[in-house]
Amino acid sequence: MRYLALALQYRVGIILGLTLLISALVVPGFLGLTTLNLGLDRASTIGIIAIGLTVLLIAGQIDLSVGSVFALSGVVSIILQPQLGILPAAVVGILAGMLAGAVNGLLVVGLKVNSLVLTLATMLIFRSIAHWITDSQPVSGIDIMFSLKVSQTYLEIFSIRSALFLAAIVLLHVWLTRTIPGRNVFAVGSNAVAAKESGIASGRIIFLSFMFAGGMAGVAGVLQSLVTNTGSPVFGSELTVMVIAAVVVGGTRLEGGRGSALGTLGGVLTIGALTVAMEFQSVPAYIQQVVSGCILILLVVLDRTVHIRPGTGREPARAVQPITQGGGSA
Amino acid sequence: MSDLVAAAESMKKTERFTRANWVAELASRAGLLIAILAVIAYGSIANPAFFSTGNFVNVLTSMSIVGIVVVGMTFVLVVGGLADLSVPATIACGAILSLGLQPMIGPVPAFVVAIALAGVIGMLNGALVGYAGVNPIIATLGVGTVGLGIVQAAVGGVIVYGTNPASAELVKGRILGIPTVVIIFAVIALIGHFILSRSYWGRWTTATGGNYSAAQASAVPVRAVKAGAFVITGIAAGISGGLLGLTLQSARPLVGTGYEFSAITAVVVGGVSIMGGFGSVPRAIAGLIFVQLLTNVMVLEGVRTPVQGFVLGILIAGAVGMDAALRKRGGG
Repeated sequence: MRYLALALQYRVGIILGLTLLISALVVPGFLGLTTLNLGLDRASTIGIIAIGLTVLLIAGQIDLSVGSVFALSGVVSIILQPQLGILPAAVVGILAGMLAGAVNGLLVVGLKVNSLVLTLATMLIFRSIAHWITDSQPVSGIDIMFSLKVSQTYLEIFSIRSALFLAAIVLLHVWLTRTIPGRNVFAVGSNAVAAKESGIASGRIIFLSFMFAGGMAGVAGVLQSLVTNTGSPVFGSELTVMVIAAVVVGGTRLEGGRGSALGTLGGVLTIGALTVAMEFQSVPAYIQQVVSGCILILLVVLDRTVHIRPGTGREPARAVQPITQGGGSA
Repeated sequence: MSDLVAAAESMKKTERFTRANWVAELASRAGLLIAILAVIAYGSIANPAFFSTGNFVNVLTSMSIVGIVVVGMTFVLVVGGLADLSVPATIACGAILSLGLQPMIGPVPAFVVAIALAGVIGMLNGALVGYAGVNPIIATLGVGTVGLGIVQAAVGGVIVYGTNPASAELVKGRILGIPTVVIIFAVIALIGHFILSRSYWGRWTTATGGNYSAAQASAVPVRAVKAGAFVITGIAAGISGGLLGLTLQSARPLVGTGYEFSAITAVVVGGVSIMGGFGSVPRAIAGLIFVQLLTNVMVLEGVRTPVQGFVLGILIAGAVGMDAALRKRGGG
């Protein structure tokens, strides 16, 4: 039982280790700098979005529209290049992502709507806007040389994207574990009403988390568009499942209140390693979907069953519930 | 446009406080009807092609395919299961299998097998949501991804074509001037309505969605009821996919994309609460008629597809927001 608990605590590491081991055994030449570079670069798109989603999930919310925001920001950053120049356009693209997140946050906090359903609607809306402004055609940027510069590899391992991702993960880790705002996010996620009673502005934290998630999806979308020199309204439609899978693999709970940046790093690397390994073996895209879907389901089920079964007192979070009711929930 | 939604919503406002008042009840029911009539009136004035038998038959036919899914989705929302996002996968499963298996086992068994498999996908959703307690959106998103992947892998990612023209004729044919698909939809809607409003299962579904713990304490088999809603949706989407495949005589793996949103939009716009515990099949179908007519008018007026998606998204967000606001004020 103790080993099981220990294994559960470090399951991200175990899953990542197993993935790497199996990949190394199955795929010839998997262990090498090229693979590391490729895997990191591939993982960083998922990873940058996952950073935003980690915070949002800890705060007890979810955003299904990140894939659409990814596409929208990319499209905006490419389509404005002729007027504004490359870098200002990129900034506007990221701002568009933040604006989209702000819309989500405003609606969720203001209307008190279930974020799953609301972001389902905004997912449709943002995707439509991306189709709208591009006429459903992919658009290309003005300078192809710039995209080469962005996708360049430094020190044989890092591209700009993967370096940015790793730096952001470290910052997120420090922010979540060492600062008061970071701790407040956990408080809001475990029990929004109790947090509010203790003087934490739950609404504002949720709103800002949505804005952050939108902004990170924007950053990922803009980088993707800069690297490919293309903005396409169909980008990112398959990303949502992968990102949620990565975050959940990392041990962040869908119900909020628990999660960590390092866990997300592990989850993202696992998904990245899996993707690269399957691509090396030329596994078709739809099988890759099956695999990431299966992992998502397995882990969510594991998360539910392992925590509810042992003991009679259920989980600690349950014990807090009387406060919710006493705190005057509507 | 937004006036219509506002009108529909303001009408709906009355229903939750004063359900006992039959005048208010009537007004709430009439709200969507007025919105539908307004769309018809606008359509008839704006475009001569709108008010014609041909156009209405077209709307009815396309409505029927989504409508079958709407019937199932109503159960999912009423039971408090938020939404079933695996519908594209189950539709693809129904369409591809009912065409792909035709040469091997004949059209009717192929259709039955396709629906049965779609039901199995629904059962998987149901087991995850009802018994394992997984968040419905995550569960159905995951199951949908896996299901779609498997269906694509099974046919190698290509388009499947029909080999039995007779079955296509049957589905595309008409009985007494009404397309067969519409009749099938009407029958399924009637059965769905009967189950939800007149049977034990329906009462259990409403009770589970309204107050899970209270239903459980009253010895309602809440887990099975919750799982059942997803099985119903799976089967409904399978039937819908099979009919779609037979009508088109070809099935791509992505044939069902977007149907989940159309169905959710219709149900939510019809005034079925996304939080569960309230709703009926006729309401959902009224929502469907409204959305379909609106889409039809937009198409006839030459509004581009992205804009239509935009309007649908706004409709969902508006309807859900209104529902949440009403719940809060009603103290429910």
